[in-house]
Amino acid sequence: MNELQFKALLPYSLLATASIIVILLIAFRRNHFMIQVVGFLLMCGVIFALVQVRPLLPVAIPPLFQIDGFALLFTGLIIGSVAIVGLFSYIYFEAREENPKEYYILLFLSTLGSAILAISNHFVSFFLGLEILSVSLYGLIAYLRNRNHAVEAGMKYLVLAALTSAFLLFGMALVYMDTGTMSFPEIAQKLSAGGGSSVLFVMGMGFIVVAVGFKLALVPFHLWAADVYQGAPVPVTAFIATVSKIGVFAILLRFSLDVNLQNFPLAIDIFAIIAIASMIIGNLLALRQANLKRLLAYSSIAHLGYLLVAFLPGNMAGVEAAVFYLLAYSITLLSAFGIITMLSTRKKDADDVEIYRGLFWKKPLMALVLTIALLSLAGIPLTAGFIAKFYVLGAGIQSQLVLPVIVLVVTSVIGLYYYLRVISVMFAAPVPAEAWEKTVSPLFYNSTYIALVILALALVALGVFPGLVVEDIRTLLTVR
Amino acid sequence: MIHYFILQAGPVSSVSDTNNSFNYFPIAIQLIFAIAFVAIMMGVTHWLGPKRATEEKLENFESGIEIRGNARQPMAVKYFLVAILFVLFDVEVIFFYPYAVNFRELGWEGFMAVLMFVGFFLAGFYYIFKKGALNWED
Repeated sequence: MNELQFKALLPYSLLATASIIVILLIAFRRNHFMIQVVGFLLMCGVIFALVQVRPLLPVAIPPLFQIDGFALLFTGLIIGSVAIVGLFSYIYFEAREENPKEYYILLFLSTLGSAILAISNHFVSFFLGLEILSVSLYGLIAYLRNRNHAVEAGMKYLVLAALTSAFLLFGMALVYMDTGTMSFPEIAQKLSAGGGSSVLFVMGMGFIVVAVGFKLALVPFHLWAADVYQGAPVPVTAFIATVSKIGVFAILLRFSLDVNLQNFPLAIDIFAIIAIASMIIGNLLALRQANLKRLLAYSSIAHLGYLLVAFLPGNMAGVEAAVFYLLAYSITLLSAFGIITMLSTRKKDADDVEIYRGLFWKKPLMALVLTIALLSLAGIPLTAGFIAKFYVLGAGIQSQLVLPVIVLVVTSVIGLYYYLRVISVMFAAPVPAEAWEKTVSPLFYNSTYIALVILALALVALGVFPGLVVEDIRTLLTVR
Repeated sequence: MIHYFILQAGPVSSVSDTNNSFNYFPIAIQLIFAIAFVAIMMGVTHWLGPKRATEEKLENFESGIEIRGNARQPMAVKYFLVAILFVLFDVEVIFFYPYAVNFRELGWEGFMAVLMFVGFFLAGFYYIFKKGALNWED
């Protein structure tokens, strides 16, 4: 490895070192506060390193990695989300457990897995990244093992993730059998030389879709989503909904762009069917849901379906739309889960919609943040969610994907019903309030509050001036 | 000439490409050492060890669990912890073998990589040590 490659890999090495540093901090018996602060500074360091690396790109580290603008965008999204998830974790775990330190090791490790997915262009690094991500997630989901549903959720995720990993490996083996190589560019070469409608390749793709669909919670691989979202600690739920999905979507996008999946109508049809099914079933299941965490789980199934519509065309417009969509989606979900974290008490997560009855009259700012987040999820104009959906629709219409686009519009309207239901509960007359529990750490409580307000403002800002980021996304995506 | 075979580090082909019975000499040495090691260990322990024939000691050895009755008896979770740590460190040690065989070819770069690996490994060891995972008694 030469110096340039080493430099380009710096953010990722720093991320890998972060968990070692946390291990040593725990060994030296440092407290939760210290670990939290050091973790946050390390994440800032990674983002700083990403900024420093940007002029060097693109750098290829054969055979496993390709660090380009695309990877930088997704890694930035992942690290930004993790920094915010880490912030939520302090107030959440400080109220619940004596010793939440190992949590941060697992958090940084799974972040590393997700970031590796964003830069890998080889099946080996794909699989390694996915396993680092999911093995740490098992521990994270069942971290509060004394609580209801936690072990159940962890177990469900463990069994299904192991099963889908087997599918993934078999799919990789089939693609390898067809092309004789595991690196994405070489697979593309072999496919274009061979004419490109090999049965083996499409079969392999089909198996890979199972694993990717599981991680992204797409229909029909979505059955774990609601239970795991409900059983996991709230910050971990936020992590699964954002970081893990961003990483897996990044590798899916890179693979299909590299091998030109558009030349395989059968594979594209499979993705189109999955997208349509996810949009319809996700939204329908959320309609009567009274548990906010489960509601967000079903809503995220639907949103990943919308995202796949941007994935289908396989051109630059689609990729731009997908990146913007992921940005808006992660900001939105992070602010929604942030509010749930702040309202959760020691005994119970604030996941029952009834807890939010009359929230606006008790804590107006919090209610406003959650309202903006839900409106953005619903795709109401002046929020980032609307612009994101608009871009996705644009990309879909450009490529004449008539059916997915129609389904997207219709299901968005259906989705409005359950988002507005939560909002109307928040603005209803308040029930006589039981006393709110005292907050554990005012410093972190307030900084989480500030972060949430900033996220909500960012949602509105992106909704009004999407040009703030769209140009940057476009220029970064050209660095390949 | 023989040390090339034993260390596997030098260019083996330069020694001799002919297939004669002398090439198998190191294997013979290894066999002798293996047999001698086992024989000495068993002999010396029988000779030196104290013999107190209590009822428990005369039972068949079944790795510490009761030889009769229900096999699903509770046991301390510490056994599990130590077993997991053993497997972990065992697997880590396996990574040293390919390095040891090739250390001359890998040069300083390989040495640095192994040093880094050992550093991470020791950080993990320090962590479990400080967490008290190896403390048998509370």
